[in-house]
Amino acid sequence: MIVCVAVVGHQNNPLYIQSFTDADDALKLHHIVHCSLDVVDERVNNPKRSGPTLNETFLGLLYPTENYKVYGYLTNTKVKFILVTTDLDVRDVDVRNFFKRFHAAYADAVSNPFHMPGKKITSRTFAERVSTIVKSFGFSSAG
Amino acid sequence: MIGVGKIKQYANVLDKPLSKGKQEVSLSAFAFLFSELVQYNQTQVDNIAELERRLEDAGYAVGARVLELLCHRDKGNRRETRLLGILSFVHSTVWKVLFGKVADSLEKGTEHEDEYMISEKELLVNKFISIPKDMGTFNCGAFVAGIVRGVLDSAGFPAVVTAHFVPMEGQQRPRTTILIKFAEEVLRREASTYNRIVKR
Repeated sequence: MIVCVAVVGHQNNPLYIQSFTDADDALKLHHIVHCSLDVVDERVNNPKRSGPTLNETFLGLLYPTENYKVYGYLTNTKVKFILVTTDLDVRDVDVRNFFKRFHAAYADAVSNPFHMPGKKITSRTFAERVSTIVKSFGFSSAG
Repeated sequence: MIGVGKIKQYANVLDKPLSKGKQEVSLSAFAFLFSELVQYNQTQVDNIAELERRLEDAGYAVGARVLELLCHRDKGNRRETRLLGILSFVHSTVWKVLFGKVADSLEKGTEHEDEYMISEKELLVNKFISIPKDMGTFNCGAFVAGIVRGVLDSAGFPAVVTAHFVPMEGQQRPRTTILIKFAEEVLRREASTYNRIVKR
């Protein structure tokens, strides 16, 4: 069950935050996303010495909290995608697929000439695509 | 011939599926659009420097988006952190996607440490443009310079990029050079990364 997705710009400014459950406090999710940014920065600035993982886009499981897992993904422009989920057994490949489709939707949203880079993403189409991707994530990993 | 072959005949032309289309845009369409862009900006400004700045700003927006798009399409892409890496990325991949071919050459400047040059015999955007004498050194390649600046800036390498004409002997039209001057912090970062690896 994906609880929240977020897009954070390269100056750690939020570009898009969307939560998918009514139960949880939206503020708490914002806080979790904010904390995960620190982990992302730490991973980026102190890369592990092993060569191949130096510049990967998919950051993997950032940190598990009480009942959430947070995954991160970094694009070439230092824009970060954060995924918060309550599933206990998400497969790595599912999360990668999710981020790939999310990246596609993001690239399309940014290509909009009326979109100002650095400002929030206000496109409805992007919101719809994201909710579609989130729904299908639930189904694919339920198997 | 009705019924021959596997092609489905549509009763109405509006029912035909939209084809994926070629990945290319016709040069004349782009040249037309670009000339309109230049003319529109020309009516808005009083001097050449302002016109160049406007073209560059237009290119900057394109560059930022091109980087996002390319990084997404290029599967298994790695984030470029080295100077040479991002320069060769601009020189081959970006040029190939935008203009259909790689740039002619990439050189390191001799006078300053932080200058690099990408040269092209004839910039595609300048193909149908001739600069009137009273405009001096104005170069519509400022648009391409803006694109390069957008790509570099979004990738985390702030730089000042300008376009210049370099006259070549034996050719009628001068060669165009895009001059890239990186910011201080980029060089410092590059120096510290390089030193770290060398010391091991």
